[in-house]
Amino acid sequence: MNCPTKRNEDAEILLDYCAQTLSPLQTAEFDVHLKQCADCSRLVEAQKEVWGALEAWAPAPVSVNFDVRLYARIAEEQAAPAWQLWLRRIFQPALPYPLWKSAVPLIAACALLAVGLTVRMPEATHAVQPQLRADKVDIEQVEQALEDFDILTPPAQAPAGSM
Amino acid sequence: MALIPAQPSANPGVKKDMEAVASLDRDTELMIRVRAGDDTSFALLLERHRGPVIHFLYRMVQNPSVSEELAQEVFLRVYRSRATYEPTAKFTTWLFRIATHLALNWVRDGKKEKGQESLDEQVVDGVDRQVRDRQPNIEQEMLQEVKMTEVRQAIEALPAKQRAAVLMHKYEELEYAQIARALSCSESAVKSLLFRAYESLRSRLAHMAG
Repeated sequence: MNCPTKRNEDAEILLDYCAQTLSPLQTAEFDVHLKQCADCSRLVEAQKEVWGALEAWAPAPVSVNFDVRLYARIAEEQAAPAWQLWLRRIFQPALPYPLWKSAVPLIAACALLAVGLTVRMPEATHAVQPQLRADKVDIEQVEQALEDFDILTPPAQAPAGSM
Repeated sequence: MALIPAQPSANPGVKKDMEAVASLDRDTELMIRVRAGDDTSFALLLERHRGPVIHFLYRMVQNPSVSEELAQEVFLRVYRSRATYEPTAKFTTWLFRIATHLALNWVRDGKKEKGQESLDEQVVDGVDRQVRDRQPNIEQEMLQEVKMTEVRQAIEALPAKQRAAVLMHKYEELEYAQIARALSCSESAVKSLLFRAYESLRSRLAHMAG
């Protein structure tokens, strides 16, 4: 048998031995080990003392009207409007929802939003393109108009004696 | 509500679940009946687990009235969630998971400081009463009370998760796997919690030996 004080993996045998939850065979094996191992022997003694001390702690007696109070609360809850019951189920669940489960709806909502935006984006680019084209045409028109002005404008007189 | 032994259910859905959980425990069977609307089974479950749940909570929060209040909340939540109950584990695992969750929340929220009926006051009252009632045993009784106060303080000094693990292991005799589920951690984490907890208790209570 491996010594529980040397190997963490075997350490639970100490607890189980003191809790008397080992099988008879395991108990016998550990008894043999205890005779050879002073460390384990000391630890078991100390653990048994703690065990004994804890055993002596008796709990307080239960109130005689515990059930009556509980059934009164159940009756009160059943008489409450349905929306209140729903709110209690949501805000006071038997167990808290794991964080990843709470995140699932949020992630799903984000994914849906992203898909929605992606689907809408091409329409948006199509909507922009005609505008770009229109801008391009406008510039061409302006250039054409300027050229027309140039044609219409009489050429400037060459200064005398320049030739 | 009268305590009448639970009758076999005629509901086919319940029968199917019963077969599915045949390998599980009697409590799970009762809870499936509660889910089907059998309030008698709820009374039986309450009868079986009222004591252990209150005692666990009492040792956890060390206040009798708060422990009963939390225990009421535990059973109320069990009843409230009966419709959605799924027998995926032992009923006691689920029950103690709810109890642990409520107790840890209570400890975390620091409600302990909010003017409660402390156990130390009770001890003083108890000793006073004993002094009046049983003069010959005064010393023994007082010594015992002092020891119990030390045990309570040693348990109280443990971090909340270690405390819950020790209480479920020592007093409720839950398996490592059950404690792990109740504390939402792995079995190896539970073993580690228990080792550290018992180590602290050994050092704190070493002087009580002999």
